[in-house]
Amino acid sequence: MSLLIDAIGFGIASGAVLALGAVGFTVQFGISSILNITYGSLMTLAAYFGLLLVGAGLSIWLALAVGALMVGLISVVFHRVLLGPMVKRGIRPFGLIVVTVACGIVLQYIVVAVVGPTAQSYGNVSGATLRFLGMTFTTAQLVIIAITASLMLALHLLLTRTKLGRAMRATSANRTLAQSCGIATDRISDVAWLISGSLCGAAGVALAITVATFDFTLGSVFLVPMIAAAVLGGVGQPYGAMLGGLVVGISTQVAGALWNPAYQDVIALVILIAMLLLRPRGFFGAAWSSRRLLA
Amino acid sequence: MSSADPASPALALSVRGLVAGYSEQPVVDGVDVDVPVGRVVAVAGPNGAGKSTLLKAILGIARLLGGTVHLEGRNVTGLPLQKLARLGIGYVPQVEEVFESLRVGENLEMGGYLCGKRERAHRMERTLGVFPQLRPMLQRYVETLSGGERKMTAIARVLMLDPRVLILDEPTASLSPEMSRIVLHEQVRALGTIGKSVLLVEQKAIAALEVSDWAYLMVRGRVVMSAPAPEILHDPRMREVFLGGAVAELAEQAR
Repeated sequence: MSLLIDAIGFGIASGAVLALGAVGFTVQFGISSILNITYGSLMTLAAYFGLLLVGAGLSIWLALAVGALMVGLISVVFHRVLLGPMVKRGIRPFGLIVVTVACGIVLQYIVVAVVGPTAQSYGNVSGATLRFLGMTFTTAQLVIIAITASLMLALHLLLTRTKLGRAMRATSANRTLAQSCGIATDRISDVAWLISGSLCGAAGVALAITVATFDFTLGSVFLVPMIAAAVLGGVGQPYGAMLGGLVVGISTQVAGALWNPAYQDVIALVILIAMLLLRPRGFFGAAWSSRRLLA
Repeated sequence: MSSADPASPALALSVRGLVAGYSEQPVVDGVDVDVPVGRVVAVAGPNGAGKSTLLKAILGIARLLGGTVHLEGRNVTGLPLQKLARLGIGYVPQVEEVFESLRVGENLEMGGYLCGKRERAHRMERTLGVFPQLRPMLQRYVETLSGGERKMTAIARVLMLDPRVLILDEPTASLSPEMSRIVLHEQVRALGTIGKSVLLVEQKAIAALEVSDWAYLMVRGRVVMSAPAPEILHDPRMREVFLGGAVAELAEQAR
């Protein structure tokens, strides 16, 4: 029993990282209809930026913030220079996915060429262990959960309470109509890619913190459960991705604890397939669509 | 009317020799259209005549292959939609005319995106004065609305922009005959009376003529007739040519 409760605790912690990544991924799809597979390698890049910044003397949490912002800016440029123009020239969705897969692989090779294949670590940053409702958390895990929760709340407030956020939703819902209202949709896209890219970067550093040691495959391995979380929630729906992250995180950890940790990714995929068979449009399906924020 | 100088300030919108289409085969082939300030001008014609493409080319959405567009005497040919919005052109598309996943109130807010907070609140009150039925619906998501309520939201949204020129693409499409009447006679006509210049594309020709000052008949990408709307309505022979042409074309397409 305590094994199960511990697994739930660890599931919440890894679910927080999944949610962080899945929300950024889903926002990119919502605003630009781009399934950006390069996302995984950008998370890896963020983890190495974090390493560089920690090496330069920054605290791990400041490194997370700065690394997130750096990847946010890179994502804006990536969309502005490459993906956006391709969409404007009428590339087909499948072609675009292939481009993002290719860019992901190229970026991963660049990372390994620069830093080498050996595993890296931020050192001991997990901090003291705390017990809470029978679950065990490290301080680092709790901080990551708190960061995720506050970023999700901030995103919610941005999308529903501010004119900028509503313009993002309007652009996502109907780009031409948004332009007819005078909304500079290209600039709105830039903001959306800055935010989602920063979430990607934050998820990358947070993931590197939770896994203790990492190498150049960090993000690409994480991509599978993260996309599972995003798809579970209905791609393009931030709230769905938040919940999807938690569901995938907890269920894979619990199943891993009860069965075999090596099967975690397989379990995530089985959940995904079963879920899509039952609810093809994600948890909330059509009923939720009235409240969806993007797509 | 099409002989007027396109740069004349008496013309809210003036289109000359417009050629447009999605490929090398033009869908719109050398069309002249004028909308005098404060008037409602209809473009009628059968399905596939190029009416929607004409509007989209004016708005910089469809590819413009030739011709010019003047807004209040200023050359705005080929400007992107978002610039045209800033210059005072409002647009209600035929389909996807509302922000589906936004609330009614948020749709209106987006309509007034370009103005400041205070001005937007002012316009909101004024718009709700024109469409009081929308007031209790402001918190509802658009996708829960009926067809008529959607259309009302779309027109209210465009009024929030406070445009001087309005471009409406088949505002009665997919509405019941009764709802169509309300949209055209109450909503579109009302736009004319508050001083807006309106370019209206409609398949329901008689209904469109009833609320318009001037009408163009478009067939196969060309304007084949242009006359004051009341004249067409009241002269049985002209009426026959205008509507007969459309009917014959429709019959030919159906074959």
